[in-house]
Amino acid sequence: MSSSTKAEIRVFIIENFLFGDETQAPGDEVSLIENDIVDSTGILELVAYLEEHFGIAIADPEIVPENFDNIARLAAFTDGKLRHGLAAKAS
Amino acid sequence: MSEIRPLDLQDVPQVASMFMRVLRKEPGTPSSGLVDYLSRIFLEPPGHDPEIVSQVHVRDDGSVSGFIGVIPLALTLEDRPLRAAIASTYMVEDHESDPFAGARLLRGFLAGPQDISLTETANDISTTMWRKMRGTVLADYSLEWLRVIRPAAFMIEAAARATRLARLASPLARPFDALIRRSPDEAAWSHLSPAVHGNRLLPGADIDDDEAAWLLRHFSSDFPMRPAWKEEDLAAMVVHSRSKPNYGSMVRRKVSSRSGSPVGMFLYYGNKARIGRAIQILAAPGHEGAVIDAMLADADQRGLAALRGRTQPALLNAMLGRRFSFVHSASSIVHARDTSLVAPFRSGQAFFNGFAGESWTRLIGGRFD
Repeated sequence: MSSSTKAEIRVFIIENFLFGDETQAPGDEVSLIENDIVDSTGILELVAYLEEHFGIAIADPEIVPENFDNIARLAAFTDGKLRHGLAAKAS
Repeated sequence: MSEIRPLDLQDVPQVASMFMRVLRKEPGTPSSGLVDYLSRIFLEPPGHDPEIVSQVHVRDDGSVSGFIGVIPLALTLEDRPLRAAIASTYMVEDHESDPFAGARLLRGFLAGPQDISLTETANDISTTMWRKMRGTVLADYSLEWLRVIRPAAFMIEAAARATRLARLASPLARPFDALIRRSPDEAAWSHLSPAVHGNRLLPGADIDDDEAAWLLRHFSSDFPMRPAWKEEDLAAMVVHSRSKPNYGSMVRRKVSSRSGSPVGMFLYYGNKARIGRAIQILAAPGHEGAVIDAMLADADQRGLAALRGRTQPALLNAMLGRRFSFVHSASSIVHARDTSLVAPFRSGQAFFNGFAGESWTRLIGGRFD
């Protein structure tokens, strides 16, 4: 998993959901939902951010806790999408 | 895995239960009347379009936990046919513990085949979500207007929202209102005096379903962006709009010029000493004030405490001089991938809200005993 993807997502979360307060930054495995960091509006913001910032397309069935509940999952999901995109281009 | 899929007839009882719990805050088994109505309005709505459909969010265990009710609306913009979809009932069970359901429902709705997506009943949470999806909140269509007619009766009705016992004080309100309303002060925002109307009022008359449909089409044709209702669809919508017992009896009238030609119409619901709700006011250009005056005089004559409704940009100027109050309670929002289609809404050139929305349905003000 790319550490830069994680870092970029973490910065986005701190800036947009935690008012820039780095002391509140969640750990990689901390649930963004259970800790009330992200709500329905936040999910939409996260989807828009990943699509625009990383240039990936996210299908509706992919917007689930398995991909969005914490920073590690978000980064793994994003990296997987990026790898898939590169593989598709190479072939 | 959870999924978003089109509403099916078998889902409707679960949707009805959620409607009672989430929106009406009345837990319990939904009536068969509600189940039937939701089936009709969301599976076979007027203007039915097989591609523009209501959606449910289904959990892993097969239970329905979210719903977005969709009503199709054919529009026309200067002879260009457009497909619109109105997001009506939008609800999610336990949205705090499962924020994905609401996000996916709205995202799925906005990605639909329609040219224009609309809502006229977005609460604060929904409004924020629409904004994040680049929806445009239309301030001129999103204000709730209020005109107080009998201030003491109005205060009792306001208190009755907290406890119905407040209505026991209604007899006390009458002498106060009679005293206050003696003053024929046109500038008073606190009350409406019968003397204000004088003999300036244009003549009016009750209208039946057919004439209401004709007048709706006639007056909405002044808007560059307007519904392109099929005759049978508009007729069905007018029938739906007859019953709003939570708001009161229906009052549906046209206003005519002295020569007898119609210059406007209004539709409101209300009972004596209560706050009435207008869902549609339409006027020929230049006659907005006369139609509003006729409506207020009618509500006054029927003994209403006040009248409220949703703003339309075409009526705002006329309302400014007539001591209306304005507050925001729910938002009217438009979203279109082709942003040029948003322009008529921003500039007030679109006929939206009321019959070009969801207010005509029994979901607003209806009762399903």
